[in-house]
Amino acid sequence: MTVEALPVRRYAEQVMGMPISLAVRGAHTRDASALDAWSACLADLRVTDRVFSTYRDDSHVSRLSRGEIGLDECPAVVREVLDLAERARLESGGAFDVRRPGPDGTVVLDPSGVVKGWAVQRASVHLRSLDDTDFCLSAGGDMVCHVADDERPPWQVGIEDPRDPDSLVATVEVRRGAVATSSAAHRGAHIVDARTGAVPDALASVTVLANDLTWADIDATAAYAMGAGALAWLRERPGRRGLVVRSDGHTDVFGRG
Amino acid sequence: MKRISYWFLCSVSAFVLLVGFDASRHAGTSVVSAPPVVSSGQSTTTSGTGNATGGGSGGTNNKGTGASSKTTTVTGDVVQTQWGPVQVQVVVRSGTIAGVKVLQYPSGNSRDVEIATYALPILIKETTAAQSAQVDMVSGATFTSEGYVQSLQSALDQAGL
Repeated sequence: MTVEALPVRRYAEQVMGMPISLAVRGAHTRDASALDAWSACLADLRVTDRVFSTYRDDSHVSRLSRGEIGLDECPAVVREVLDLAERARLESGGAFDVRRPGPDGTVVLDPSGVVKGWAVQRASVHLRSLDDTDFCLSAGGDMVCHVADDERPPWQVGIEDPRDPDSLVATVEVRRGAVATSSAAHRGAHIVDARTGAVPDALASVTVLANDLTWADIDATAAYAMGAGALAWLRERPGRRGLVVRSDGHTDVFGRG
Repeated sequence: MKRISYWFLCSVSAFVLLVGFDASRHAGTSVVSAPPVVSSGQSTTTSGTGNATGGGSGGTNNKGTGASSKTTTVTGDVVQTQWGPVQVQVVVRSGTIAGVKVLQYPSGNSRDVEIATYALPILIKETTAAQSAQVDMVSGATFTSEGYVQSLQSALDQAGL
């Protein structure tokens, strides 16, 4: 189990109101092609932000939510994301829903729970084009990992302790796949159970590993919203694994291989 | 205190991983001087020490769960460390690690740790100072740009720039 220490080059940039971090190692880490791929990732994310941001009044999603434009006036990716959101709603029994009552009772469209994972997964394609290069691309704590050469060690991903964000509660090794964690630790209560509107309090955090970040992120958010029923639901999800930290600190691992 | 438990649980994690490797493939890939021998089946246990710092090996006791033949419990020796005695118990089911119980650790409390099988290398650690852990990225609650400055991820990024 000796792991050769490979030099890792890191990049970080703020996009979509959150830090985007990249770690790369292998053939292309600081040459022009690596910089081009990194720039292309960031450009993708900025475009996504302009279309989907609920913080921008002029984004397509904000205008769609206010009923100013129809879906057919939005870029095709909006429909793609809303289709994913609908699938997530059905598969989570309604716990995950991008349409929720706003403060004044009108229904607000907020697809942020789908957009982040989907956007980062999508942007990572630029890094995949780098020959013989491993990468780990993270957006505010959710990431896509790739190891190009099986001879090289997996990425070591630390899972933050939701009760003490200066510490880790676990580590996972990932060669190809995604890791997403949902928790109220840094931003306070921002997830609600769409079935009841209640802020879930049974769980401290949910971490999901899946083949792609779109579904890792959706499942982590949906499970966190479910609260006490999360573990049973996650165990039934195909190809997922991860861990659930309850509010009392108890940790459960789910999934196999 | 944090440091002590970190050190200790790392040892436990290493032990578990090595046993996991032994149980599910062959011993050749592991780097333990006295690999624990784990046989499944009734009342079979043998154990080495579960600890990188060594110190004592050999004897065990068995608390197999009786009829459900494939589950074996392996109890490691009590290892004296400079922080106090350490002892772990591993439950092996169908050749893979089903659970680890820490019977003794330096603060005196025992504690259950659910550990993934070999196929699922998620290591549950005692809370660990990130600087000590060899991690490339940190997954956690989404931090905003403001929160990033204080985040572990930020520390990692800075260390690599």
